[in-house]
Order: sequence, then structure tokens, then C-alpha cells
Amino acid sequence: MAPLKGALGRALLRLFAVQGSYNYERMLGVGVGVAEEPLLRDLADGKYRPAVARGAHFFNSHPYLTGLAVGAAARAEHDGAPPDQIERLREALCGPLGSLGDRLVWAGWLPLLSGLTIAAIALGAGWFAVAGFLIVYNIGHVALRWWALNAGWTYGARVSVALHSPMLQKALALLGPAMAFAVGFALPLAARFLAVPFPRWGQLAAVVTAGLVFLALRWRSDRLNGLRMALGLSAVALVVGLIWQ
Amino acid sequence: MSLALYRIDDRLIHGQVVVGWGQPLHVSFIVLVDDEVSSSDWEQDLYRMGVPPQIEVIFASVDQAAQLFSTWQTDERVGILLVGDIDTAVALAARVPQVRRFNVGGVHHRTGRKERLRFVYLTDDEAAKLRDLAARGVDVTAQDVPTARAVPIGEFT
Repeated sequence: MAPLKGALGRALLRLFAVQGSYNYERMLGVGVGVAEEPLLRDLADGKYRPAVARGAHFFNSHPYLTGLAVGAAARAEHDGAPPDQIERLREALCGPLGSLGDRLVWAGWLPLLSGLTIAAIALGAGWFAVAGFLIVYNIGHVALRWWALNAGWTYGARVSVALHSPMLQKALALLGPAMAFAVGFALPLAARFLAVPFPRWGQLAAVVTAGLVFLALRWRSDRLNGLRMALGLSAVALVVGLIWQ
Repeated sequence: MSLALYRIDDRLIHGQVVVGWGQPLHVSFIVLVDDEVSSSDWEQDLYRMGVPPQIEVIFASVDQAAQLFSTWQTDERVGILLVGDIDTAVALAARVPQVRRFNVGGVHHRTGRKERLRFVYLTDDEAAKLRDLAARGVDVTAQDVPTARAVPIGEFT
């Protein structure tokens, strides 16, 4: 069955903001409801409102793969599936989509490309490598979102068929080892690249900064964590570096 | 070694269960007790997908669980028993007196439920059922991940 004209595109665009209303009560739920709404507009009058409300119930999974649940639930609504079956479908998708997304993206595609980019920079590719990273990463990222939404809409309640697809299984099997290779390849190159001599005051500043971060983490371990501090300081260093040049 | 964790979690199998609890406990099997899931092939298919191949997943209804409980209890591997709602937990505890504790790991928002903890939302009725369970000698605590504090029942119902 064909979706309403332009509805899949609208849902895809709205899915980019799926984490915008994240909260402990519904997690991604409200974002999912908003993204699903364009796909529900051609439902009969009495069905539209309860379907949108169902769409906004509790949901949590990997943000890039959430489209699969959005498409599947919208399709199941059109197929006239009973409400409690749609609720159960949504609940059953949280876990597998979360673990699939973690393996595919956070432990696969992202560190794989990061490793290759770091290696390329260490070998002298400079800003081209950074631009290449942003472009290639996001081609994969948006393609995954689009595939997920389409697969969900195509299969509806039988969406596990899409998750068993050989292409996906092959990607999972390849990405792990490829990621490990890229990061292993990048580490020694990055170490040599960073080991260029730098002045005494720079070394001192690095030691003092590390000490301050350590103290800050001990002091506010409830609010701060290593990753946030590292990202924040990297951003500051980047800005200072650009101004200083 | 037998069952190391009895957990109430409405998302059933997800990362927190498989990685968060599964890894430190060295879990080799997960028993999922749910009357609806035990009779639904597509749901079983989806839940199995979130689990690495070396971990066995067993689906059972409350009736089947009551019959098979002793075999899980004497299994030499370590396992986790999961239920998706308070009613299933109460029914299981009533049928199987060896169930002496329940970990409330995640019960999320639904119409009529109030926030008790960040990961526990309960209707007044559900809270009363949990207190009943505790009054009958079952140790009920709320804890989402192993590194968090186990919150005693009196603090969240």
C-alpha cells in the first residue's frame, strides 16, 4: 500500500528531532508520535486521533533506527491491527533496535570512520579528512534512517523480516572487525603525530588541566563525566587555536 | 548456579538486561515469563534478536514456568528470570513459593501511573500489589542497573 504523498519524507525530517522532547516519562515517545503523525493523516476520522496518541506513548531505542518502529506502527494502524497488538509491537521493538543500533553505529560505523579519519590526519590529509568524515558518516547515517523508515512501513507488524535481512547481518559481521582494525591502525599513527615537540609551558598547561579535570570529576561526579569534560575542553581548544593562529 | 536475578521490566529484554546485568552475572540463559509472548512467534523472534547467540532464551507462560521452575533452579548455568508486569510477578510468586525476591528494574509511564522513581511508574493498585508481595515475605527492591542502589520497597510504593 502506498503512503500519503510526501508523508515518508515528512516523517524522515521529523525523525531528526526525535530526541528533542526526551524525558524520563516517555523517553523518545513524544518525538516518535510527532514523526509518525504525517503517516497517519489518511486514517478514518475516528482512528486518526487515538493512533497519534498511541504513537506518543513510551518508547526508547537507537535514534537512527527509531524510524523502523515509526513506519511499522503506522503501517499496522493502516492494516487495522488491534490497538493492544500495536502497543506490544512498539514495546517489543525497543530492545532489538537499541542493541542493533549500538552495534551498528556506536560500536561500528562511528569509531570505524573516526579511526580512518585520525589516521588520515596523522598522514597529512588535514581538513580534507575532517570534511570527508562528516560527509561519509552522514551519508551512512541518513541512509540508515531512510532504510529503517521504509522497512518499517513495508513490513508493518512483520518487521522482524527486515531485521533478518542478509545485507544487515553482513554489515553487522563486517563492521565490528573493520572498526577494530581502523582504530588499531590509527592509534600508533596518532601517537607519532602528537609526539611533535611542544614547549615547556604547553606541557605544564596540559598537566595542570588534567589535574583540574580530575578534581572536577571527583567534586561533581553526579553532574560531570569524562566524556563531557573531554568534549567541552576539545571545543575550547579548537576555538582558542583558531583565534590564536 | 540457577537463577541469579528475578526482574520486573516492561521492556523485557533490552540492553540494560543483557549487558548491564548479563555481563557481571555471567548469564547463560534468560527465562522470559509472559503469557502473551509465550504464544506469539513474532514477538519471540524480536526479543531473541536483542540477545547474543551464546545466551539461550526460554519463553514460558506462568503455567509452564511453574512446571519448569525446578529445572531452571538446578541448571548449572546462571540465568535471569524476567517478567513484564506486576500481575505476572504476583501470579508467579503465588504459584512458585521458591521465588523469594523481585527486582523492579523498569516499569514505565502509562495512563494512570504515577512517577515513583525515574524508572518506576506505578498505579496505586500496582503499588499495593507490590506491598502485598513484600508482606508475604518476598524481598522487593527497585534497581535499574547493578551499580545503582537497591531502593527498598518502602521508599517507592
